[in-house]
Amino acid sequence: MIVPFAHVLIFAAILFVMGLGCVLARRNLIMILIGVEIMLNAAAVALVGGSAYWRQVDGQVFVVFLMAMTSAEVAISLAMVVYLRRRRGTLEADRFDGLRG
Amino acid sequence: MTTMATALPQFPWLTLLIGLPLAGALLCLLQRRSAGECRWLALATTLATLAVSLWLFVTHGDGQSGWLLREDAAWIPRFGIRYTLALDGISLLMVLLTAGLHTVAVLIAWPEQRRVPLFMALLLMLESGLMGVFLAVDGVLVLFYLCWEARLLPMVFLIGIWGEEGRRRAAVRFFLYTLAGSLAMLIAMIALYLLYAAQTGAPSFALADLARTRLTLTQEYLLFGGFMLAFAIKAPLVPFHTWQPDALSESPAAGSVDLTGLLLKTGLYGMIRFAFPLFPHATRNSLPFLAALALLGLFHAAWNAYRQDDIKRILAYSSISHLGLVVLGLAAWNATAWQGSILLMVTHGVVTGALFAVVAMLRSRTGTRELAELGGLWGAVPTLSAFFLLFALASLGLPGLANFAGEILVLLGTFRSQPLWALLALPGLVFAAAYLLRLVQGMLWGPAPAARGMMADLTVREWLVLIPLAVLTVWLGLYPAPFLAPLAGPVQAALGGLP
Amino acid sequence: MNQTLLFLIPLLPLCCAVLNMLFGMRLPRLFAETLAVSGVAASFLLTLLFWGYADGDGTRAVLGTWLAVGDVTVPFALHFDALAAPMTLMVTGVATLIHLYAVGYMHEEEDYARFFGLLNLFVFAMLAIVLADNLLVLFLGWEGVGLCSYGLIGFWYQKTENARAGTKAFLVTRVGDVFLAAALLWLFALTGTLSIADINAQAASFTPAVLTALTVLLLLGACGKSAQLPLMTWLADAMAGPPPVSALIHAATMVTAGVYLLCRLFPLVSLSPAGMAAIATVGALTALYAATCALAQREIKRVLAYSTMSQVGYMFLAVGAGTVSGAMAHLLTHAFFKAALFMAAGCVIHLAGNENDILRMGGLFRRGPRELFWVFLAGALCLAGVPLTGGFFSKDGILLAAYTQGTPLFLALWGIGLLAALLTAVYTFRLVYLIFAGEPRGHMHPHELPLLMRWPLWPLALLGLGGGLLNLPTLVGGGEWLSHRLGPLAGRVLTAAHGTEWALAGLATGLVVLGWGFARWRYARFRGEWDNRASRFLLHGWGADALVDRLVVRPFAAIAGLCAIGCDRALVDASLDGLAKQTTACGERLRGLTTGRISTYLAGFVWGFLIILGWFLLALVR
Repeated sequence: MIVPFAHVLIFAAILFVMGLGCVLARRNLIMILIGVEIMLNAAAVALVGGSAYWRQVDGQVFVVFLMAMTSAEVAISLAMVVYLRRRRGTLEADRFDGLRG
Repeated sequence: MTTMATALPQFPWLTLLIGLPLAGALLCLLQRRSAGECRWLALATTLATLAVSLWLFVTHGDGQSGWLLREDAAWIPRFGIRYTLALDGISLLMVLLTAGLHTVAVLIAWPEQRRVPLFMALLLMLESGLMGVFLAVDGVLVLFYLCWEARLLPMVFLIGIWGEEGRRRAAVRFFLYTLAGSLAMLIAMIALYLLYAAQTGAPSFALADLARTRLTLTQEYLLFGGFMLAFAIKAPLVPFHTWQPDALSESPAAGSVDLTGLLLKTGLYGMIRFAFPLFPHATRNSLPFLAALALLGLFHAAWNAYRQDDIKRILAYSSISHLGLVVLGLAAWNATAWQGSILLMVTHGVVTGALFAVVAMLRSRTGTRELAELGGLWGAVPTLSAFFLLFALASLGLPGLANFAGEILVLLGTFRSQPLWALLALPGLVFAAAYLLRLVQGMLWGPAPAARGMMADLTVREWLVLIPLAVLTVWLGLYPAPFLAPLAGPVQAALGGLP
Repeated sequence: MNQTLLFLIPLLPLCCAVLNMLFGMRLPRLFAETLAVSGVAASFLLTLLFWGYADGDGTRAVLGTWLAVGDVTVPFALHFDALAAPMTLMVTGVATLIHLYAVGYMHEEEDYARFFGLLNLFVFAMLAIVLADNLLVLFLGWEGVGLCSYGLIGFWYQKTENARAGTKAFLVTRVGDVFLAAALLWLFALTGTLSIADINAQAASFTPAVLTALTVLLLLGACGKSAQLPLMTWLADAMAGPPPVSALIHAATMVTAGVYLLCRLFPLVSLSPAGMAAIATVGALTALYAATCALAQREIKRVLAYSTMSQVGYMFLAVGAGTVSGAMAHLLTHAFFKAALFMAAGCVIHLAGNENDILRMGGLFRRGPRELFWVFLAGALCLAGVPLTGGFFSKDGILLAAYTQGTPLFLALWGIGLLAALLTAVYTFRLVYLIFAGEPRGHMHPHELPLLMRWPLWPLALLGLGGGLLNLPTLVGGGEWLSHRLGPLAGRVLTAAHGTEWALAGLATGLVVLGWGFARWRYARFRGEWDNRASRFLLHGWGADALVDRLVVRPFAAIAGLCAIGCDRALVDASLDGLAKQTTACGERLRGLTTGRISTYLAGFVWGFLIILGWFLLALVR
């Protein structure tokens, strides 16, 4: 393994925190979605790293699943974003509070 | 295992008793059947069930102790859960009562017009659940609990959908009350299961196994309390009774018959079958307390009945009052009183069921349940009134009619072991007469209200409902021996369990 | 002959009752009536036929088992013995005549099937009491007569008061039944059997305190059915029923059931001196109380009702004084003449155009059928105890028994009995004068009475007049037939010097003459009735109804209200509703946490995540 496992994990953690920061800080739905994607990718990096470290293929299988799932999720959520934009004329996340108790 | 089980591979009669109504219910719901078809289907199902239980009664009702029939199969072996149904003399009577009253209930529900298939299906599911409660005895508390809960939902829907004006509130109340009790029982049940598993290392839900669990007295009291809460709410014993008048008065006629005749009995049956044998020490120590509750219920409900203006509520309270006497007999803890109590459970089912049926028929003619708006019915519908009078007299314990046989046995037995309790219960005779004669006076006698139009006397269907009930009322009063015979063995065995 | 055939005596009326109730309205009227009468008449003939069975110890017959649980075995069994036989004969005989009379009296009534069904059922229940071999069968009859009485008092149910009177009768007698039931339970617990003969045999082994308590319980039970103090309030109101019903149930048979019960259990009862004193006291006080009430009554049937109460009081006095034969003799003669009086009263009411008030009658001697007057007079003479009538001998026997007891208590009771006898003569002749003397004061419809309403009266009147022969004292050369017939069941043998007996008889005669003289002076010519405080007090039965209302009925209703409204609605329901409300309020408060904004939720996620992470780090550091 060229890159030490610790570096991979540190990289994944940084990526995850950046994604999380994006999700928490931004109010735009698209930006929040991008943040979620970044977090998912951070997890994928960690999985690939682990797979390489332990020389087991499971992690990479997971990543393939993750990619498929992410693309499906993005497709659906972007469709919803477009729909919401058309319906409410905004993508401000705090404006959508239909689930308020 | 009894000797029966080792004989020929027997026909699964008990599963049939549960399965028949369930199958009938499913058939009613499937394929969008018409209302008429569903009525006949339900009637056929209940009649078939009645035939099976009658056959069992005829062939097995000779008073031997132990299980008369038993079916046993593995179900979830990992948790020691088995599918075991068993029948003894006590459950035999209850099964017969269930089958009989359900046939009557279907006939009573015949004129129902709204969503008949669902109504009939729920009624049949109720029958199935009740059969389960009365049969799931030996093997599995889990099966018992399942059936215990399975009875609840159909009843809630019967009240909530087809009930009278206050049905929502009554249904919600009924549901919450019963659920609270059931929850306590479930917790106690699981606790007992865990204690047993910890002691022996072999998990089991079997009644016979669990009865061998070694418990400290405190544990016993807690678990006994959990079980008794469920049963006391269902019975109902007095501080836990206020759901019952609501549920009984708001539910449709068939539902009232079912509730008062059968559902209330499951609470008492549960005490006899589970609470007493599982926790003998706690039982022994709390018998005086139980008797006090019973007496309190007897009088409190009688007084309440005296003050109600709604005829169905009067009957509902009279039901509570009678069951107070049943519980008193159980608390007296001797064979005479117990057999009287169980007989009284049966006769009360028949008589009060019949009273609710007659009231429903009267209500469909007069359109009111208010006592003040009734009167002079004897002149308008003499036959129906005569039936009402007969059942009312049976209910107030006239010798020669159904309730008396049970009542006098309860009192004779109770007096022997606890004279004071019996003496305290005696004024109940006058109280019962007071509220029932007030009811009869208000309904049958006096001048007829001016606004009332013509009313038709009994139809053929109503004759079919009332004749068997009337015959049973007289038969049970004059010759209760066939119904007492199956009880001798099991009662003796159950009484022996006390330390 | 098979002794099980004895069961035909009670079962024939039962069968006819059931047939009449089920199919009566579909049968021709004549058939229904014939069925009712013939059922009772057949029982009467059967009783005569089986008379020999009562010899010696009597005959027992068992039809089948009623209840059998463990060691409790209660058969349907009857016991036809020297005590039951004359009673059975009286019940069936009087009932037959009253049934015949009822056919005449009720011939315009449309609901005849119910009437005759209930009447027949009553005869069955009464016979069950009389013939019962065990206490539970007796209890069956005991409650059965109560039921029939309820149904027949309220027979004309369209008037609410009538139905209410029936309900009152049922409830008050049921209070007595509770005491009887308590005695029954106790006896069973003591002896392990319900058979009357066995209980009587074992009675000697009970402790005195138990015996006294049992006697008092039995007495209270008897008081309910026999309308004795303090459970007497129902009988006067029970006159709302048709006259044949009053004649059969509230004069001849049911009200004497209490006396019969005490006679049946006399071997037990007589073992307790205190209990016997209680029985005699209750009887004597009721005799006086009812006689005073009868003085002021205005309705003809209420006068007779109070007189019945009073005469039954004498019977209780007899039992208390230890003479079963005296009680039975008075019971039988009273049944004859009182039934005759009631049926005659029915005729009078009929003739007076359904008028009950004796103050608005009068003149019936000249206007009405003479036959009616003679019958009524015969009954009245017996009731007043005019010498040589049946009532004279039987009442005299009772007073003699009380006198010969000799204790101060019994002498006092004897005095009360004498006073009541005087009052009896007064109100009886008052009744006769007010109905028959003078000129009519109301609207009369004199017409010919139907045959069936006339001739059943004669046998009863004659039996009443000649009733003394039943138990004619040796003093006047009689053989005391009934006492001999009853044998060991007859109770105490009365022994008194002939001089004493003559003196007592003379005293009684003097009192009758005195009473008659007063009534003649006051009522021979009608001068209006007193209307003052005392008469109103007596008219309302010493205010007993108001007292019961205040002491029992209203508190009962109040407690009922407390239970229904105070306890169930205010306490249980309200506390549960409160619980439900609190739960809802809690939910309302928690609701504020869900803002619906994603940012809030995300912040929640992160904080939660950080806390968990911190927890793990902390664990790692440790």
